[in-house]
Amino acid sequence: MLLTKKTSSAAPVSGASPFVHSLRRGLAQALPTMDRRAFLRRSGLGVGVGLAATQLTLVKKSNAAEGAKVAVGSSKIEVRRTVCTHCSVGCAVDAVVENGVWVRQEPVFDSPINLGAHCAKGASLREHGHGEYRLRYPMKLVNGKYERISWDVALNEISAKMLELRKASGPDSLYVVGSSKHNNEQAYLLRKWMSFWGSNNCDHQARICHSTTVAGVANTWGYGAMTNSYNDMQNSKVALYIGSNAAEAHPVSMLHMLHAKETGCKMIVVDPRFTRTAAKADEYVRIRSGTDIPFLFGLLYHIFKNGWEDKKYLHDRVYGMEKVREEVLAKWTPDKVEEACGVPEAQVLKVATILNANRPGTIVWCMGQTQHSIGNAIVRASCLLQLALGNVGKSGGGTNIFRGHDNVQGATDVGPNPDSLPGYYGLAEGAWKHFAKAWGVDFEWIKGRYASPAMMTKSGITVSRWIDGVLEKNELIDQDSNLRGVFFWGHAPNSQTRGLEMKRAMDKLDLLVVVDPYPSATAAMAAMPGKPEDLNPNRAVYLLPAATQFETSGSCTASNRSLQWREKVIEPLWESRTDHMIMYQFAQKLGFDKELIKNVKLHKVKGMDEPVVEDILREINQSLWTIGYTGQSPERLKAHMKNMHVFDVKTLKAKGGKDPETGYDFAGDYFGLPWPCYGTPELKHPGSPNLYDTSKHVMDGGGNFRANFGVERDGQTLLAEDGSHSLGADITTGYPEFDHVLLKKLGWWDDLTAAEKTAAEGKNWKTDMSGGIQRVVMKVHGCHPFGNAKARAVVWNFPDPIPQHREPLYGTRPDMVAKYPTHDDKKAFWRLPTLYKSIQDKNVADKVYEKFPLILTSGRLVEYEGGGEETRSNPWLAELQQEAFVEINPKAAADRGIRNGERVWLSSPTGARLNVQALVTERVGPDTVWMPFHFSGRWQGVDMLAHYPKGAAPIVRGEAVNTATTYGYDSVTMMQETKTTVCNIEKA
Amino acid sequence: MARMKFICDAERCIECNGCVTACKNEHEVPWGVNRRRVVTLNDGVPGEKSISVACMHCSDAPCMAVCPVNCFYRTDEGVVLHDKDVCIGCGYCSYACPFGAPQFPSQGTFGMRGKMDKCTFCAGGPEANGSQAEFEKYGRNRLAEGKLPACAEMCSTKALLAGDGDVVADIFRSRVVQRGKGAEVWGWGTAYGSKQAGQPPVQATEGAKP
Amino acid sequence: QAPASPAVTPSPPAVVAAPVIAGIQSQSIFEVKPDASQDSGYASQTNAERAQVQPGNNAPMWRQVGQGVTGYSSLPKTQAPEAGNLIQPFVQYPGSRLTNAGEAWRQVRNQWIIPYGAALLGIVVLALSIFYFAKGTMGHEHPDTGRRIERFTPFERAAHWANAFAFIALALSGIVMAFGKFFLLPLMGSALFGWLTFALKNVHNFMGPLFAVSLLVIIVTFVKDNIANRADFVWLSKAGGMLGGHDQVPSHRFNAGEKGLFWWGVTIPGIVVVGTGLVLDKLIPGVGELRGQMQIAHMLHAALAIWMMALVLGHIYMGTVGMRGAYKAMKTGYVSEGWAQEHHALWAEDVRTGKIPAQRSGPVAVSPDAGRTAQV
Ligand SMILES: Nc1nc2c(c(=O)[nH]1)N[C@H]1C(S)=C(S)[C@@H](COP(=O)(O)OP(=O)(O)OC[C@H]3O[C@@H](n4cnc5c(=O)[nH]c(N)nc54)[C@H](O)[C@@H]3O)O[C@H]1N2
Ligand SMILES: Nc1nc2c(c(=O)[nH]1)N[C@H]1C(S)=C(S)[C@@H](COP(=O)(O)OP(=O)(O)OC[C@H]3O[C@@H](n4cnc5c(=O)[nH]c(N)nc54)[C@H](O)[C@@H]3O)O[C@H]1N2
Ligand code: HEM
Ligand code: HEM
Ligand code: SF4
Ligand code: SF4
Ligand code: SF4
Ligand code: SF4
Ligand code: SF4
Ligand SMILES: [Mo]
Repeated sequence: MLLTKKTSSAAPVSGASPFVHSLRRGLAQALPTMDRRAFLRRSGLGVGVGLAATQLTLVKKSNAAEGAKVAVGSSKIEVRRTVCTHCSVGCAVDAVVENGVWVRQEPVFDSPINLGAHCAKGASLREHGHGEYRLRYPMKLVNGKYERISWDVALNEISAKMLELRKASGPDSLYVVGSSKHNNEQAYLLRKWMSFWGSNNCDHQARICHSTTVAGVANTWGYGAMTNSYNDMQNSKVALYIGSNAAEAHPVSMLHMLHAKETGCKMIVVDPRFTRTAAKADEYVRIRSGTDIPFLFGLLYHIFKNGWEDKKYLHDRVYGMEKVREEVLAKWTPDKVEEACGVPEAQVLKVATILNANRPGTIVWCMGQTQHSIGNAIVRASCLLQLALGNVGKSGGGTNIFRGHDNVQGATDVGPNPDSLPGYYGLAEGAWKHFAKAWGVDFEWIKGRYASPAMMTKSGITVSRWIDGVLEKNELIDQDSNLRGVFFWGHAPNSQTRGLEMKRAMDKLDLLVVVDPYPSATAAMAAMPGKPEDLNPNRAVYLLPAATQFETSGSCTASNRSLQWREKVIEPLWESRTDHMIMYQFAQKLGFDKELIKNVKLHKVKGMDEPVVEDILREINQSLWTIGYTGQSPERLKAHMKNMHVFDVKTLKAKGGKDPETGYDFAGDYFGLPWPCYGTPELKHPGSPNLYDTSKHVMDGGGNFRANFGVERDGQTLLAEDGSHSLGADITTGYPEFDHVLLKKLGWWDDLTAAEKTAAEGKNWKTDMSGGIQRVVMKVHGCHPFGNAKARAVVWNFPDPIPQHREPLYGTRPDMVAKYPTHDDKKAFWRLPTLYKSIQDKNVADKVYEKFPLILTSGRLVEYEGGGEETRSNPWLAELQQEAFVEINPKAAADRGIRNGERVWLSSPTGARLNVQALVTERVGPDTVWMPFHFSGRWQGVDMLAHYPKGAAPIVRGEAVNTATTYGYDSVTMMQETKTTVCNIEKA
Repeated sequence: MARMKFICDAERCIECNGCVTACKNEHEVPWGVNRRRVVTLNDGVPGEKSISVACMHCSDAPCMAVCPVNCFYRTDEGVVLHDKDVCIGCGYCSYACPFGAPQFPSQGTFGMRGKMDKCTFCAGGPEANGSQAEFEKYGRNRLAEGKLPACAEMCSTKALLAGDGDVVADIFRSRVVQRGKGAEVWGWGTAYGSKQAGQPPVQATEGAKP
Repeated sequence: QAPASPAVTPSPPAVVAAPVIAGIQSQSIFEVKPDASQDSGYASQTNAERAQVQPGNNAPMWRQVGQGVTGYSSLPKTQAPEAGNLIQPFVQYPGSRLTNAGEAWRQVRNQWIIPYGAALLGIVVLALSIFYFAKGTMGHEHPDTGRRIERFTPFERAAHWANAFAFIALALSGIVMAFGKFFLLPLMGSALFGWLTFALKNVHNFMGPLFAVSLLVIIVTFVKDNIANRADFVWLSKAGGMLGGHDQVPSHRFNAGEKGLFWWGVTIPGIVVVGTGLVLDKLIPGVGELRGQMQIAHMLHAALAIWMMALVLGHIYMGTVGMRGAYKAMKTGYVSEGWAQEHHALWAEDVRTGKIPAQRSGPVAVSPDAGRTAQV
């Protein structure tokens, strides 16, 4: 009874049979696993877009922006290439736009990063183009309700208020929470904007994400970034995931890993939770949250004990490993390891054996390591493991630190950091002078914008602590005034800890401005009634609709340091405006618009002036020599995006080929010119696929460890030993970083052109704006501009030069606190008093561990991102996760009479009580519970719906774990402690 | 003629739901209708495996056999489609389908299920290829555009393979050979009648064969 | 053990064996532990345990799948209760093989209910035609002379006809749903047939509750007179007069045949059909979310519905062309004494003796065709 009514090839255009043939053809040449790409490409876009062009007119249009309605038939179809905005993997997307409406989304098989693949978030991106749940126009909080106002009114009122605050309390009374969601150009412009406002009080997500990584890793060997790439993991023989749940947080990275597994790579996962990543592992190790150092040093113990370390590598390229060795062998014997992290000797040995037997091996870490009050030490312990095994600076090895937001790497590199100008130049006067020149403004003028020269060079408050900038007693903070005004410029409130106190801080402010396409989490929290005594009667709250990254163009930096260019997909929806337009418009009101766009042209968008993004990138190209953001001109990036097919999936290297439009020759380039891409664009540095890789010439992306910590310490050289250098270098010994003096000493000065000489005189490789020094050193002499040195196993300028295990402030193990106590309190740390020991001691004395006997940790679900307001507003995603929940072990649940699916109260030492659903599962151990952190919109059991701006509430609302999280900050970077705190759970 | 089939490689699927939202996006599938879904077995314990499932386009399709109005039909490529103009929303196909593929837009009472909706292998429906009517009722017809199903194309790990049965089987086979395990092709026994799965439960006495 | 001699240094601990790393290096079915299957409990291992001894062997997991185990799906249970199920579990319904539930149900429906149901209905129709051909209309004419007896009150008639109307609507729509594709579809073409069936399906859905209510009323009203008594055995032993002479066997208000229909053709299957129908309609909270429940409900519903149709066909035959005067009784409510005597002698007797009043409905009940006020 199989009737065949219709053949799908009935229509003459049908691709059915040629399509199938192309499948076959493609496969004949394809490698078994990855290279589906090859044949998919054949059957994919080529035919598809051609056909789409003839068929799409017939297709229903999404009811997107008002006024975008067009007559069927008269339509214009375009395909715009953009990049997913939800995580740092950087998956490319082709957006099909019909008459300005985003009607369809196609995979980009050509992308060497994702080969067309997407996780749930990437595959549902088009919803941003509908924007049904977005804020449509500016709003102001009036008597507890949000009311619509015009942009003009908003800009006028806000800037007037800002100037008032500035007059009364100085520029440091304002705090701007920037965003890793901004593209590089916007992030860079925001840091500039803030400098011209006259304060360093700005920050973004990286603080609460990978700040400990950036600081820890940079201080170990040079740059604080992922050393290799997702693609390069295909070359690994073993991968140790410790504190990363890539299957949910970086799903498309698993494409490369699972392929590697098929070709023999071993996969080990170390996590308090049996994650979806662990499910794919060959070996899973459960540790107690916060005890990565004991585990990592437990591995090192076996490695040193058995002599498995790479002795030549350590001799040539690493400083201070003997001290670590001594400490590890003495302190981290297997019994101590087991006592601290709960892993028996046999398993630690097994993992060490696998690491030894399989090289090169890579290590992957993420928030499981970084978000601790000892995050900086944990990440360094991971570096030490990789150094000991000789895995860093090698293809297949490295520390693959998976970054967070789509552009958190870029925003860290060029964006609003409180302790540095773009490019990690820092805040010293020299840095300011460099940028004054780059920006084309007078150094003295900028200085005059600041409260004082001292405030100009003093690191600002961090986003993790802005609430203390508001709430702390004035005499205890290290700036004149408390914070009185706060901008949330692309950042959620429920991503920072201590929610109860944040609510109080929000109420106390004079000015709260939210610039966001989905500002509603902050909006609802601010509008919700708090304690009357906290409320500032003069408080003004504004919501400004920002455009998303699909409504502007610009570059963003993926985790592997590749820059990708997003084309603008659609015009800003509703009344939203792009972030850089908003910055410019504020600058106009505040009186520094001319300075802000000195090197930047304006063009019209929806009839208004907007700074041209390409020009901003060119300014970045001309100023960020430190990290090689100089070679990635808009032209090169655009050529890469249009011709992704020329890049190899495993190496990211172009096989050759020319851009048909511009004739640009790709030969030798790595995809996205992963930074450092030194020199001017004309130098054609190809980018650096794997950092510190001595097996390649510097002009082929090779390198070595950076000379950033001096040349000698305690009589030992810090430079690389003789014979250890990047391939083909003229200097075969270690050498310091290059400046005009060294160049002259080496007799290389005359390799500079006359013009370069003028520019380079008195400058070093970081400040020579002509790029001459870099050119000569690299191109002519094959050397690395930042020198050739050793990595530091001992970071003497950190509180714990050799990483020390310290128990979290809130823990369930007073016995361990006695052995591994935390730091002493600090007085003025990032402008604020910061407590360690006094809190930990008090907690032990109060027996907090008895009232709150469960470790509370938190993390990610694949469907949602960050604070989640964007993704919970996307019906395609929202349907998949409709309830905030807490994972609890069957034993812990049984002790409390809780059954799967029941409601429970989760209480924490802050007094917060969350009403969530219990997910009873062995995924977590009996002493640990886990909550996803993406929810907001319910507050201690109460729905906040009434406090949302009308029409802009997300579809799914739930209890935010950060309402309950506790105090605790990293001793270097002020990273918040979100991965280890305590709680109790009762049946609701 | 090619015979279209799905394979979900359980060794690769990471339950990322990319395939699920790709389908929703491509076909504007409403809330409550899940043409594709992901199921995880042994959730949270070692041995955990996820599998993405939609209509398998069975060889002797049970849904087709029970439909009281015969609204199912099969294309030359083996894709099982149905005609929503004829469907009466009785739900029989969903009782019969081993995989739970048929979906109903409203779960309301009085048996008012609405017209059945299910995965079309991105091959549309009986209306003219690429027509507005086809899109509104069945979503896009990617096969006619020379493209493969959206879910498989976007699968984050290429766990989900869709296409000519021989071709996808080849890809899968070469993976199995490379990794030396994970040979089970999920659902093929039930859907296409091969001897690998969908047999009566193996009794505990039988030794497990690889 | 030999007593430890102080002169002998304690024997060194066994040399630390080379670390065992099986289970991770050999994630390959070609390198399985050869003796793993000798382990007691091998067959009952979980997938995790199996992975330890035989990496890559996922047999326990696939076995679970085959058994229809329900896994995790992030879709909420309330909205998609079976989203976590990959393949329906194996069952064996009466008449099916042991196979997954969907297939088993399909076998029952397509191999039993549909063909044999059609056959049953066909046979009944055929049998009644032959019967009619052979016997013609039975019973005698009874001119409206003597006293008229009220056989059915207006209430009883209303209930009956409502019920009959609903039943017929349900039966016709049900028949189209079950068999339409064999006889109507080829005639009408799929578009028209689909449209018609869709309409009839909705008729079926909405008529169901009406039928349920009227059925309840019918049962309550007629149950008293349908309780079996001695006379029924006589009636049955003579097969209602079919055997032997042409005279009817004396019966009370309803004869054993009617009672049989009442119990086995209306009440019992009716309740089940109504119950299962309401399940299929998703009108019973808590049931019908799962396909397994629907399958069982459907099989009972369809089988018993066809059974009811077969019997009711006989009833309708008897109530119309089969038995003279019967139809009028249900149409008007009144029968002549002669008819009562002929068909329900014992009942007629009771009426005569006044045990049963000849007129049970209100005093102003009108005999519609006679046009005069009934005597009390
Ligand atoms: N779907 C999705 N993807 C995302 C994001 C998102 O919000 N949603 N966000 C992006 C961002 S901003 C980031 S930073 C990344 C984060 O990516 P990940 O860090 O991989 O994600 P998390 O779930 O926060 O944490 C990873 C794991 O750390 C474990 N963990 C907790 N405490 C410890 C510990 O003490 N030691 C160790 N070893 N592990 C521990 C948790 O159990 C968890 O499984 O993801 C990015 N990708
Ligand atoms: N308990 C707990 N807390 C955590 C974590 C954890 O693991 N556990 N993880 C931490 C980590 S790693 C991170 S990175 C943070 C993430 O937390 P957040 O970054 O605060 O979360 P998001 O929701 O991604 O916030 C980004 C905001 O930017 C807006 N946005 C998007 N695009 C644009 C744009 O183009 N312009 C503007 N102006 N706005 C835009 C979005 O609408 C959204 O409101 O959370 C941290 N908090
Ligand atoms: C057109 C269809 C029908 C006709 C013409 C019809 C006719 C009749 C007649 C004439 C009687 C009276 C018999 C007598 O006087 O003894 C009767 C009684 C009855 N009918 Fe019907 N009928 C029909 C349909 C139905 C249906 C569909 C049902 C139930 C499913 C039903 C249930 C009954 C019952 C319960 C009685 C009372 C007899 C008893 O309780 O045994 N009838 N019908
Ligand atoms: C309360 C009373 C009833 C209800 C709620 C009900 C409901 C249903 C439902 C929901 C179906 C499934 C098809 C669909 O969804 O439309 C169905 C099918 C059917 N019903 Fe009923 N029904 C009722 C009474 C009856 C009666 C009295 C009969 C018999 C005369 C009947 C005969 C059938 C038949 C033959 C089918 C089709 C079976 C098949 O196609 O396999 N129903 N009914
Ligand atoms: S969220 Fe990350 S992995 Fe998922 S599609 Fe976007 S960039 Fe790719
Ligand atoms: S999977 Fe289900 S719906 Fe699809 S063809 Fe098979 S029986 Fe029909
Ligand atoms: S719901 Fe529609 S497709 Fe399914 S069996 Fe009924 S009529 Fe056929
Ligand atoms: S083949 Fe097409 S219709 Fe079917 S699940 Fe995949 S995307 Fe959806
Ligand atoms: S997209 Fe691929 S990996 Fe993700 S759930 Fe679907 S099948 Fe599994
Ligand atoms: Mo992050």
